[in-house]
Amino acid sequence: MAAGKTGGLKRYYDLNGWLFVAPSLLLIAIFLVYPILRSLYLSFFSGKGMIMKFAGFGNVARLWNDPVFLQALTNTVTFFVVQVPIMITLALMLAAVLNNDKLKFIGFFRTAIFLPCVASLVAYSVLFKSMFSVDGVVNSALLAVGLVSTPIGWLTEPFWAKVLVILAITWRWTGYNMIFYLAALQNIDKSIYEAAKIDGVPAWARFVYITVPMLKPVILFTTIISTIGTIQLFDEVYNLTEGRGGPANATLTLSLYIYNLTFRFMPSFGYAATISYVIVIMVALLSFLQFYAARDRS
Amino acid sequence: MYRKTNLSRVAAGALAAASLLASTAAFAGEVTIWCWDPNFNVAIMKEAASRYSAKHPETTFNIVDFAKADVEQKLQTALSSGTTDALPDIVLIEDYGAQKYLQSFPGAFAELSSKVDFSGFAPYKVQLMTMDGAVYGMPFDSGVTGLYYRKDYLEQAGFKPEDMQDLTWDRFIEIGKQVEAKTGKKMLGLDVNDAGFVRILMQSAGDWYFDKDGNLSIENNAALKAALETEQKILQANIHKPAAGWTEWVATFTSGDVATVTTGVWITGTVKAQADQSGKWGVAPIPKLDVEGASHASNLGGSSWYVTAGSAEKDEAIDFLNEVYAKDIDFYQKILTERGAVGSLLAARNGPAYSEADAFFGGEKVWQNFSDWLAKVPAVNYGVFTNEVDTAVTAHLPSLGQGAPIDDVLKAVDSQAQGQIQ
Repeated sequence: MAAGKTGGLKRYYDLNGWLFVAPSLLLIAIFLVYPILRSLYLSFFSGKGMIMKFAGFGNVARLWNDPVFLQALTNTVTFFVVQVPIMITLALMLAAVLNNDKLKFIGFFRTAIFLPCVASLVAYSVLFKSMFSVDGVVNSALLAVGLVSTPIGWLTEPFWAKVLVILAITWRWTGYNMIFYLAALQNIDKSIYEAAKIDGVPAWARFVYITVPMLKPVILFTTIISTIGTIQLFDEVYNLTEGRGGPANATLTLSLYIYNLTFRFMPSFGYAATISYVIVIMVALLSFLQFYAARDRS
Repeated sequence: MYRKTNLSRVAAGALAAASLLASTAAFAGEVTIWCWDPNFNVAIMKEAASRYSAKHPETTFNIVDFAKADVEQKLQTALSSGTTDALPDIVLIEDYGAQKYLQSFPGAFAELSSKVDFSGFAPYKVQLMTMDGAVYGMPFDSGVTGLYYRKDYLEQAGFKPEDMQDLTWDRFIEIGKQVEAKTGKKMLGLDVNDAGFVRILMQSAGDWYFDKDGNLSIENNAALKAALETEQKILQANIHKPAAGWTEWVATFTSGDVATVTTGVWITGTVKAQADQSGKWGVAPIPKLDVEGASHASNLGGSSWYVTAGSAEKDEAIDFLNEVYAKDIDFYQKILTERGAVGSLLAARNGPAYSEADAFFGGEKVWQNFSDWLAKVPAVNYGVFTNEVDTAVTAHLPSLGQGAPIDDVLKAVDSQAQGQIQ
């Protein structure tokens, strides 16, 4: 078919197509593209509140000399480096166990492990805060069984505060990741396992050499969303520490720092925008790395 | 057909109702106020509103109760976005943050200098809401500090109320050790994520994170150094009950777990809310630091009312604040008795409520004491970056407990603060 003949029709379809998507495009442009570009523009300005002046790369230079930013960056990296692998492994193991049809009360266990995801972020953080306070349930229980002799300062000692945050997000999100694995497990052909069984492959090897490789795309997906989620960690630390990221800035995350720079301190919109671009770059780099590491080698 | 007409009637009705609502909202006369603490600011503002409404029935009030952090966040968001519709007519701002708002959002708040006589207020309050010679707020409560102590616990440990007067912090720690030995109770609750205690001590010696000109003053700040040393001694003597956050900190004394509380006078309402502890509490001046210029008087918190410049009911709001907060002596007596609010209108202190004895405090004339101490609070410059430096100090409180040398802590605080205040 000659191109000239269908030109009118093609244009007709093109135009209509664009008209159909125009409302969504417009909304995306206003509420997504504009803020992204605007915050990039903003990151070149510095000043107090509304009195801003052009600063070029001044905000980027300020990043290097800001011990609080470096601390927040270190904390954020610590959280995802420690927490994401723990959570992914845990979710994978739970999924493998709960995929066993012979297990009794399987529906109950699946629901119980998934249930934390339904909890509101704020509600469960507040709950954790009260459970882990100096004379909260957890310390009382640990004291009662004799595991510790003095109450652990979950929210007053820097190290334990980090542990608490990791515990909390693991509790909240493990079930969420597990659901992805459970769904993916349904798609693995049972005959593969049967063949392996007949060949005498032990259960652990079936998990390591069949289940995990077959789930690779899903593992990649969950790792990326978990990493992004952890880099953007905010609700938990905000509510556990009343927005301060204490003790000793041990639980200050980049998102919380951005919040403080904008809403708690002398508003420093430009600098806050710069830090939000640090998060963007981190997420982009890490996603690329993970895709690269998990690529199909032919 | 019938259905269609009916539907259009409903639609017309809804439209009419909407326009009615809109016109009510736009009707001059409703003053919207944002503040926090239902037992204190909110209740006091309701009292003030009812006094004004009694004389001006056409004025109604909409007093919105938020958490303090939420008021600040909403205010800061609305101011930065430039949408004045989202702002209330009157907002409560804590004194530490006043200059931050005034300087970073010029023109956002109504100037009151020509409409209110500020000479009747405590000068330090007026000072902190002044920018370029113009005054922008209505001074409200003071955070003059006192040492609240449990007479029963201290008696068990062998101390009488006379022993609690004119203390030094070293003596306070000694007493604390004996209290714990004799009663098993800790001497005080300390929130490790809050530097309020350090601020009280520092201001009691007439100093702040900034010097008189607003320059950062950390490393050579003798008062701050002494304050941190005191906190370190307390942490190392382990006479404190650690708390994480405000709620836990309040629980340390409402539950009866600690023997003393050193804080602003606004806590009185919370202390007195524990009816079963009536008669067991006393109030003494706070202990003194061992540095030059040290005193027994200090301040923590306190806040003031600000009228937004873009408000439709601006004149009404200003008239309301002026009539009640700047003139009504009787109002100040009532909020003192009912809420424990020590206002900053000086004339209010000659009213009858200030000389009354309080049965909860075993018949002590606590209000007289507080107003005497108020007059002695050293004036300091809160500057515009108190929140930032406070965060830097807070971040280094845990290292104090681990015995870090004070000079190193000061150096670290200074370097963090330098990074923040630009």
